[in-house]
Amino acid sequence: MHSVEITTPRRLLNTGRRDLGSPGPKVHVPPLGTPRLPPAFPTASPHKVAPLTSRTRAARTPSPAPPEEPVRSPTKTSPSKRSPTKAGQELDDLPRVLPPRLHPLLECQKRAILKALQRPPEVDEIDVYSEDYPPTNRAAYEQLSDLLMGTVTRGEGNSCLLIGPTGSGKTQMVEQAIAALPGNPIVVRLSGYAQQNDRLAIREIAYQLAQQTGQSFLPTNEEEEEDEEPPDAAAPLRSTKDADDNPFLNPSLPGDSGPALSVTLPPPAHLLALISMIPTLPRPTIVVLDGFDLFAAHARQALLYCLLDTAQACRAGPTTAASGMSSASGMAVIGVTARVDTINLLEKRVKSRFSGRMIRTAGAAKVGHWIAVTRVVLSVPLGERENAENEAVEEWSSIWKTATDQFLGNEAVLDALKETYALSRDYQMLTRILTGLALELSPKFPYPTAARLKAAISRQRCPSRFPPLHTLPYPAICLLIASVHAQTSGHDIFTFEMLHEAFKNQVRTSQSAPVQIEGGGIGMTFERLADLRIFVPAAAPGVTVGREFSLYRSLVDRFAVKKAVETVGQLSLKKWFTKAQ
Amino acid sequence: MGALAPSLRDALAASAEYELVTSHLSALLLSYPPAFIFVHDPENARLTASVIRANLETLAAQNDSSVNVTYACINGVACFSPRILFDTALNALARWTPDWENGALNWSPRADGRRYNDNVDAFVHGIQSIFADRMAASTRMHSTGKGKEKAAPASQPTNRMVLVIERAERLKDNVPDLLVPLTRLAELTQVDIITIFISENQWQDIRPPLRASPEPYYVDVPFLSKSATLDILTAAFSPSASRDASGSADPDAYHPALKPLYAHFLATLYSACGPFTHDPTELSYIAAARWPGFVQPVLDAHQRRSNSARTNADDPMNGIDEYGDGYGGDELRPPSEDVRLRLTRLFTPSFTAALEALYPRITHAAHWARKHAPPLDLLSVPPAHAAQALQAHTADAQTSTSAGLEALPRMAKFILVAAFLASTNPARSDLRMFGRGPDERSRRRRRKVGTPRKPKPGTTGTAVKIPQRLLGPTTFPLDRLIAILGVLLEENDAETRPVAPQYSLPGEYTEMEISRVALYAQVMELASMRLLVRTSPADRLDGTPTFKCGIGYELAGKLARELGIILNDLMFEPL
Repeated sequence: MHSVEITTPRRLLNTGRRDLGSPGPKVHVPPLGTPRLPPAFPTASPHKVAPLTSRTRAARTPSPAPPEEPVRSPTKTSPSKRSPTKAGQELDDLPRVLPPRLHPLLECQKRAILKALQRPPEVDEIDVYSEDYPPTNRAAYEQLSDLLMGTVTRGEGNSCLLIGPTGSGKTQMVEQAIAALPGNPIVVRLSGYAQQNDRLAIREIAYQLAQQTGQSFLPTNEEEEEDEEPPDAAAPLRSTKDADDNPFLNPSLPGDSGPALSVTLPPPAHLLALISMIPTLPRPTIVVLDGFDLFAAHARQALLYCLLDTAQACRAGPTTAASGMSSASGMAVIGVTARVDTINLLEKRVKSRFSGRMIRTAGAAKVGHWIAVTRVVLSVPLGERENAENEAVEEWSSIWKTATDQFLGNEAVLDALKETYALSRDYQMLTRILTGLALELSPKFPYPTAARLKAAISRQRCPSRFPPLHTLPYPAICLLIASVHAQTSGHDIFTFEMLHEAFKNQVRTSQSAPVQIEGGGIGMTFERLADLRIFVPAAAPGVTVGREFSLYRSLVDRFAVKKAVETVGQLSLKKWFTKAQ
Repeated sequence: MGALAPSLRDALAASAEYELVTSHLSALLLSYPPAFIFVHDPENARLTASVIRANLETLAAQNDSSVNVTYACINGVACFSPRILFDTALNALARWTPDWENGALNWSPRADGRRYNDNVDAFVHGIQSIFADRMAASTRMHSTGKGKEKAAPASQPTNRMVLVIERAERLKDNVPDLLVPLTRLAELTQVDIITIFISENQWQDIRPPLRASPEPYYVDVPFLSKSATLDILTAAFSPSASRDASGSADPDAYHPALKPLYAHFLATLYSACGPFTHDPTELSYIAAARWPGFVQPVLDAHQRRSNSARTNADDPMNGIDEYGDGYGGDELRPPSEDVRLRLTRLFTPSFTAALEALYPRITHAAHWARKHAPPLDLLSVPPAHAAQALQAHTADAQTSTSAGLEALPRMAKFILVAAFLASTNPARSDLRMFGRGPDERSRRRRRKVGTPRKPKPGTTGTAVKIPQRLLGPTTFPLDRLIAILGVLLEENDAETRPVAPQYSLPGEYTEMEISRVALYAQVMELASMRLLVRTSPADRLDGTPTFKCGIGYELAGKLARELGIILNDLMFEPL
C-alpha cells in the first residue's frame, strides 16, 4: 500500500503559527493539515446562549410541542410554560393577523429567503469563530485561487485535490475560483458519475474543448490561419505544429460555421493524444474532475495518468523551450472528492505525477455558524421593489425583524438546530430545512416558529422509511401480524401461502374479522406490501417458482407492528398479535 | 393504463391535501428551487404524478410569470433503457412529437443526424442545446417585445426546465447507471434544470451507495383520510364521465340529479372495499363498473313513468317531443330514501364481488358491468323477489373460473394428482406412503405412522416445521411421477378399465398403462399448459426430465375428489 503522508501547505502552517502565538484563550488546537472538526458542542462559546443550560431545560420539559404558536393563534397562547411576561411581550410585538396589504411582501420575503439559500450566505466568520480559529474554507479558497492564478497567469501546470465532506462547499469553491480568474480559461468539467470509463471521458474532453475553443476563436471557416494567429502571439511555433501534429485541432479549433454545436469528434484512436495537446491550446485549461475517486477505478487509470503527466510536464515546459515543447498556456487538474483516502487509490506511477497538493474544506465547525447562517438567511432584505408603498415595506421589515429575532432567540429553535448539527454538518441539510420552513410561511401563519422548524427537520433530516403502518388496509396489517408470527416461530423468510394460511386460520377461529378471505384481495395486498418494500424478496425470482411461493422477508420489526396494531385498536388483532410472544 | 380521468384529477388537485403539495411545488418552481426534489407518496403515487403533471402544464402555459417552465414527464416503467429515457425526455423538453409521416424521428436540432441518446454525455449536450435554443428564442421574443412597447419588464425571464420521473423506483432496476447522473443533472448540464422524482418508495430504498447522489428536498404527500377520499370521488362525478365511459352505460347515468345518490353509493362502496384499498383510482374504477348497474333501476323507473305519463296525457305539447330526444317535460329527480335503501340492500353483496374481480383485474370494468347488469326494471319487481331476480339474472353470467380443468382427460387428472403428491411429499416418504407389499395388494392402505404433527405455534422456541404445500412444490424426476401414478391407477382406476384377459399377473395391466406413449405425450402437454412446470432444460436428451407441480392444494383436492382419491390419506403432512 502506498500511502502518502499528507503534506501541509505553507499557508496553513503560517496561520497555525499565528494562532499559536495569539494570546487569546485557546481551547482547541486543531492538528495541522487535518480537517478541523471541533466537538459539536464547544465547551465555551462566549457570544451565544450557553448550550448546557438550554439542553437541561429542554430535558426537563418533555412536551415536544413548545408554546411557540402563541404568535398568532389565540387558543394556544394561554398554556405557556414560559414566563408569562415573555409570552405577553411576544404577543405585543407581532400582529396576530397579518394585514392583507402585507401579504405580497410576505411572498417577496419567501422568495428572497429561497434565493438566499441558493448559495451559502456570507457569514462574519470572525464573529462566529473568534480570532483564533482560522476558517478552513477561506484558507482553502485562497490556496485554490493562488494555484489557479499560477496556471492562468504564469502558465504553470498544476494539480490538486479538493477533499471535504459533502455539503462543505467544494464545488462552489471551485466555481467561485474559476469565475474569479482573469482572462477566459478553458474549463473542462468531467464527472465520474457521467463518464464511467476513459473512452467517454476523453470524448467529453474533446467535445468541451471544441465547444469552447471553437466558440470563442473562430467565427468563420475561411480564415482559420489568420484567426489562429493573433491570440497566441506568445507561441509562434504553435500553429504550424498543430497543423501536422494534432489531428483534432483541425476539427476542433477551426470550429464550424455555426457556434460549435455540431462538433465532429476525432476518431477514437487519436483521442488519447488529445490530452497531451491541451497545453498547446492558446488559452490556459482547467480540468475539473468531480468524483475523482471514481476516475481512479477506471482501467489502468489511464486518463488520470495522462492528465497528471501532462500537467506535470507542462510545468517543465518553459525551461525546455529548446526542444520545441514550449507551452503557451498552463493547465490545472483539480480533483474534487469526498473520499479522504483518495490519494491511496492512485497507482504509484499516477501518484508520482500528482503534485500531492490536497486542499481540504470543512463544513461549519460550530453550531454558531449555522445559527448565524440561519439569521442571515431569514433576515435577508427584500429584493428591490419598484412600487412605492414604502411605509408598507418598512412596516413589514420591522415586523419581520421582530419575528426573526424571536425565532432565533427561542431556545427550542436553538436546540433543534443543535441537534441537527450534531448529526450532520451538511450545509445542504440546513438549506433543505430552511427551504421547508420558508415554504410553510403563508398569510395565515406568517412567522417562523419552533414547531414549524421541528416539522421541517423531521421531514428533511431523516424521513421515515415506510408510510405509517396503521394507515395500511386491514388485510395488510393482518399479513404483517402473520409475518411476525412466522418470525417468532423461527421463519424469517416466508411465502405468501404461509401468511395466507395463518390469516385464514385466524379468521376461522376469531369469527370477527371484517374481511372475507376468499379471492384476490389478499394477494393484491401482499403485492402492495412488496411494492412498498415492506416485504422484500429474499431470493431472486425464478421462472419456475409460482408467485405465491416466492420467498420474502419483512423489513418492519415487531415493535412497529405492535404500535400499528395498537393504533388500529381492534381487539381481535391485538389478541392475535399478543399470541406471538 | 392510460391517463387518469380529468375529472378525478381535477377533484384531487382541488382537495386540501394536494393543494398544499401543489402550491409548495409551484412556489418552489417559480422561485429558486433546489436542483433535486423527491416526492414521496406511498398511497397513490400515480394520482400525485398526474396532479403534478397538470400543475406543471399550467405553469408552462402561463406567459406572464418571470419563469418560463419547460417540463418533461417520463415514467420509470416505460423508460426501461437509457436510450428510451433520453429520447423521451429530450422530445418532451424540446416539445417535439415524433411523427409517423417523417419517419417518427426523434428530436434533433438540425438535420445533421446527430443523436443525443448514446450516453449520458450526449444527453447532457442535448439538454444544453435545447436550453440554448430556448434562451435564444426568449431573448429574441424579449427584444422584439421591447421594440414594440416600452413597458416590457426589465428582468429577463428565467428559463427553467423540469424533468419529472414518476415511478422512479424502477430506475434502480432498469437503468442503475443513470440514477446518479439524473439526480445531478443540474450540475452536469450547468443549466437551470430541476429533477423531480415521484415514487411510492422512500429515497432511502432508491439511493445509490456512497452518497453518490445529492440528498433531495423531500416533499411528502399527506395521507388521504376516508372523508377526503369520498369527497374527491364524489367531486369527480360529472356528466362528462358518462361520455368517457364505454358506450354501454346509459347516457343519463351521470345525470346531475343523481349526485346525492352517488354519494351514498360511494359511502357504501367504501365500507365494502375500504378495508382492502384506499386508493381513489381503484375505488373509482370499481365505482365506474358498478354505478351504471346500480342506477339502472332508477333510470328504468323514470323512463317507465315518463312513458306512461306521455301515453296517458298525450297532450299536443309533449307529442312533438321525440321519443329518443329526452324524457319529456319531467326532469330526472333524485330517488326517495326507501328506494335508495332498497338499492343499497340489493347491491351490497355485489360490491364485494366487484372488488374480488376488479381489484386484481381478473376481468375489466366494462366486461364486469355488462355481466352484472341488473334485469330490466328491477324496482317494479316486488321487494321480496328482487334479490332473487338479481341473483338469477347475474348467475347465468357467472361461469366457472377453474381454468377448464374439468375438460382435461381422465389420465391428465391422474397425472396432476400424482404430480401434486410428488411435489408435496418428501421423496424419502414414498415407500411409507405408497409402498405395497406383494401380499397386501388389496385395498388396504398403510396408515402413516409417526407423522410429525405441527406443534402449536409459539409453544416452543424451535423453528416450527412448515408444511411443504405452503413452501411451494418441490422438483421431482419423471420416474417418480410415473411410479406414484402407477399406485394411484392401480388403486383407483383398475376397476374401470375394459377387460383385458391377456394381463394375468397382478398389476400387469397397470404396468402396461403407465408405459404407454400417450401418457408421456400427456405429460408434455400438461407441461406446455404450465400445469406441470418443467425444471430441467427442454433440449436435454440425457438424464430424466424433472418437473414441478403447477397446481395448488385446492385444485388438486378437487381433482382427487372427482377421481375418487382421498388426497389427505396420501399426503405426508395432511391438513
